[in-house]
Amino acid sequence: MARPCAVVGIGQTKYKRRRDDLSLDGLVREAALRALEDAEVSFADIDAVVLGKAPDALEGVIMPELSLADALGAVGKPIHRVHTAGSVGASTAISAAVLVESGRYDTVLTVTYEKQSEGNATWALSGGKSGGQGAGGTFAPWIREYIRRSGAPEHIGWQVAVKDRLNALKNEYAHLHLDDISIEAVKQSPMLWDPLHFLESCPSSDGAAAMVLSCEDFASRSPNPPAWILGHAKRTEFSSFPGRDTVKPQAGVDCSAALYKEVGITDPRRQIDTAELYVPFSWYEPMWLEGHLIAPEGEGWKMTDEGATALDGDFPVNCSGGVLSSNPIGASGMIRCLEAANQVRGTAGEYQVDGARVALGHAYGGAAQYFAMWIVSSELDPVFS
Amino acid sequence: MAELQDIDFTLEYPYTRTTGPIIGPFLTGLRDGRILATKVGDRVICPPLEYDPDTGATVGPENLVEVGPAGEVTGWTWVTRPTSKHPFEHPFAFAQIKLDGADTTMLHVVDAGSEDAMSTGMRVVVRFRSERLGTINDVYFVPGDEPPEAPEVDDDAEPVTITEHLIGVRIREPLQPHRRRFAEGLLAGKIIGQRSPADGKVHVPSRGYDATNRVPMTSEHDVEVADVGTVTSFTEIVPVQYHGQTETEPYIRCSVLLDGADTTVGGIDIRDISVEDFRVGMRLQMVWRDSGDRMGDLDNRGYGLNEEVYERWEPTGEPDVDPESLKEHNF
Amino acid sequence: MSQSTQPAQSPQSGSAQPQRHENDIAIVGFAQTDAHVRYDGPEVVLIMECVNALLAGAGIERHDIDFTIAGSCDYLSGMPFAFVSNVDGMGAWPPVYESHVEMDGAWALFEAWLRLQMGDIDVAMVVGSGKSSPCNAREVFHLQADPYAVAPLGLDPDAMAGIAARSLIESRKATETEIAEVVARSYQAAASNPHAQIRSTASVEELLAAPYDMAPLRAHDVSPKADGAAALLIARRDRARELTDSPVWITGLDHRIESHHAGLRDLTDSQSTRTAAAGSGVADGAVDVAELHVTHAHEEIILRNALNLNPSTAVNPSGGPLAGDPVMATGLVRVVEVARRIAAGEAGRGVAHASSGAALQQNLLCVLQGGA
Repeated sequence: MARPCAVVGIGQTKYKRRRDDLSLDGLVREAALRALEDAEVSFADIDAVVLGKAPDALEGVIMPELSLADALGAVGKPIHRVHTAGSVGASTAISAAVLVESGRYDTVLTVTYEKQSEGNATWALSGGKSGGQGAGGTFAPWIREYIRRSGAPEHIGWQVAVKDRLNALKNEYAHLHLDDISIEAVKQSPMLWDPLHFLESCPSSDGAAAMVLSCEDFASRSPNPPAWILGHAKRTEFSSFPGRDTVKPQAGVDCSAALYKEVGITDPRRQIDTAELYVPFSWYEPMWLEGHLIAPEGEGWKMTDEGATALDGDFPVNCSGGVLSSNPIGASGMIRCLEAANQVRGTAGEYQVDGARVALGHAYGGAAQYFAMWIVSSELDPVFS
Repeated sequence: MAELQDIDFTLEYPYTRTTGPIIGPFLTGLRDGRILATKVGDRVICPPLEYDPDTGATVGPENLVEVGPAGEVTGWTWVTRPTSKHPFEHPFAFAQIKLDGADTTMLHVVDAGSEDAMSTGMRVVVRFRSERLGTINDVYFVPGDEPPEAPEVDDDAEPVTITEHLIGVRIREPLQPHRRRFAEGLLAGKIIGQRSPADGKVHVPSRGYDATNRVPMTSEHDVEVADVGTVTSFTEIVPVQYHGQTETEPYIRCSVLLDGADTTVGGIDIRDISVEDFRVGMRLQMVWRDSGDRMGDLDNRGYGLNEEVYERWEPTGEPDVDPESLKEHNF
Repeated sequence: MSQSTQPAQSPQSGSAQPQRHENDIAIVGFAQTDAHVRYDGPEVVLIMECVNALLAGAGIERHDIDFTIAGSCDYLSGMPFAFVSNVDGMGAWPPVYESHVEMDGAWALFEAWLRLQMGDIDVAMVVGSGKSSPCNAREVFHLQADPYAVAPLGLDPDAMAGIAARSLIESRKATETEIAEVVARSYQAAASNPHAQIRSTASVEELLAAPYDMAPLRAHDVSPKADGAAALLIARRDRARELTDSPVWITGLDHRIESHHAGLRDLTDSQSTRTAAAGSGVADGAVDVAELHVTHAHEEIILRNALNLNPSTAVNPSGGPLAGDPVMATGLVRVVEVARRIAAGEAGRGVAHASSGAALQQNLLCVLQGGA
């Protein structure tokens, strides 16, 4: 019953440790104007704006939709702001799609950003107190448990760290361009949160990402190829309670199962051509391959090990370089969604997966308890066999 | 025994703002003694914006023009009791000021001495503070038309491209009832949890409710648990430096499932066991500080113990618990 | 109740009940906590008690809800990611389909209302909550302002309101007496609202005798910040009719923002309210009741004008935010207050308003109507 919706414009900033050439206005506008340009529309064509970012305390600006409304051409229009922790970028993309799919809005601009250099994420995660363990400190014990359960060899994490950085060399927007990345370099980098090394962790980036989403009527007339949103799903569970599986959270399993069912996917590994998974720490590649039912339990690491997730593998993951190469937190999930769209639009440039027709965008957040995913395709109604 | 204090905490960070192609010159201007605006079509906008507010089109620095230094008050309010965030400690006015040469108003402060000196339509003129850092607070306004003295300007100073703002929000609240009882227990050498009336599971430290069954819990649900338990997860942390961080050396942080509890106590610091010797499944005993040395420094947020009540945690020497049986407590 | 009550199908509301489309969405349950001056326990328990009351009232289980969305503000509790804990109060095991806006809960309603119109799911829960007692809201919310040219001045929403109120008076759109009348009337109405925070019988003369704070405003012209939560259940037409005999239909919902820059706005009018009123169809029928998100007394006068309300409309019969402002739930409470009156047959059609930002920068309108 919901009407179709497609990505018709994509805009990204260059991601960098500090975008010292831009204000907050300038940062969001760089992405937004590129998305409008790609869709060949102007602010006047936009019916509503959906903004997303992680906590206000990262920049010390409360409810930034208020002070950014003018810069985003939202004056006189609806604008609202989504915040679902690390998954927020993908959640925001989904919220924007809902505006179109509801039938109430034809063309929506959605923008996400983080200017991490204005503040400090580890400080914010610690609630402003000393002794903060950071995101890595939260996830490291669960990674250790994954390794114990699956018996995965330790080089898997290093391998993901290298693969994603090599992919990033093909992406002009990526923050990290580590020409001399190697297994040895990862292994030799300082241990930050045992068992995670420095080079197995995401950087801290400034950046913004934007999309223009449109209804079928507009999208089918769009100058550049649309990426049809075949389905989206979100799931949340509590951060901690007796019985919680932190390694393979039920919310993540449910989220992907609901999404595949909605889209008609029965064999994700075969029927999805490429995925952008939210992997801020290297081991989350195999963990989400299992956690989202792409690999059987205990076997996600084998896909990594065999090269299946490499750009030339049978299930390429994070061809753009992923969160491991660029992490403007609030935007990171949207980047996964728009890179999935880039792949099916054939606009992924040097990191294009040949013939990609169906792609998955994914993000998670909080204590691996928020999940947001979508599947996009070059076809409005593809047949899965 | 230590007294429990109300929480008084400031969430504070020295934010750095990069200013971009329009705000940067505007703030540089304030530092150097002039007020800049953008000319957009036939309209002069002050404070300047990076875009045309009507169309969203980008407006570049070539459109910057000087306005002021005097102007007219078009709206105002009188601040009788300044907050800690205001630029004056004495009463002053916030005003909308239409500077000479500008078509829009700017929000700023007028140091008028008394409310009687303020009126809509009055003339005000800028004053430059002696210490200027390239922020909006480098200037203020006073009644009248008398031009400011040209401020002393460092001709060699770099343009403003980044500004620093110490932003803090002060939080003051009493300990919540369940936290108070937990803290009082710790000071008395007891670990108090709560048993859910819905499923009998024991939460330590309790958050005052059982989320799974959506049941609030009260003092009648309090139970004491052991000060000995099993490590369910851990990592060794190499401290990242940030504002307010005092840790410098690596340390282990672990979660312990206390005997008699169903939730884990997180964030336990281990400083005297090496990471090579540390294991999930290991049995640990809490070694209390002497009661006189225990501190009541607890807040309403933590899911851990207060580290100011124990000396350390030491291995009991019992055989390890099979990690497979701890799978549901790995948080 | 202090307002004159209307029968459920008042002549003002038009006697013919419109045909409901399957995509029409109705409010089928609502709950709110008291506006506590200071709630001793965690925000989560405020939410939990509100959600439990909501479910009990509607007679459904947590797993009957297809989508949940909440609104809150991390900064109020001084803890980034505070909203993550709030999920504990709403229920998320087994996992739930859930989202969050860093806005008043009324904007969560906006997204839930759209989501149900997609047609694949039937029931959504909307929550708004805030615990503002640990902080000084003025010292927090000045951080909403432009971070370069305004926020460093500490120019908070109360100061902006003071500027707007003076402009309103000097442009002869209101008098200080009329502003005091808004407060006095709000207090009178609040006397019958068990959730209100302020208990006062102050007369207009007594209010005018109080000293100025943000002149021409006085302390009582500013809403008293509170701790509290509100929650709503909404459902698609067929499910709504199964769940209640008195569904309250959302016949229109729109929100608009205007410029952030005071120099580009007319602070004596609310253009974004006018646009949202047109978008939500406020003028398509009589308005028996209006609950307005008035955090500064003069804003009621601006909003009445922008909404073109006539004297027969009962405005803020709950006492409104001037009698208790549970920040981040306040807008959603307006929806609850209107829905309750319609469900009880006291009003036929009403408007709930929510606002965000200084000097009414952003405004949401939700038009509600009774009838099966």
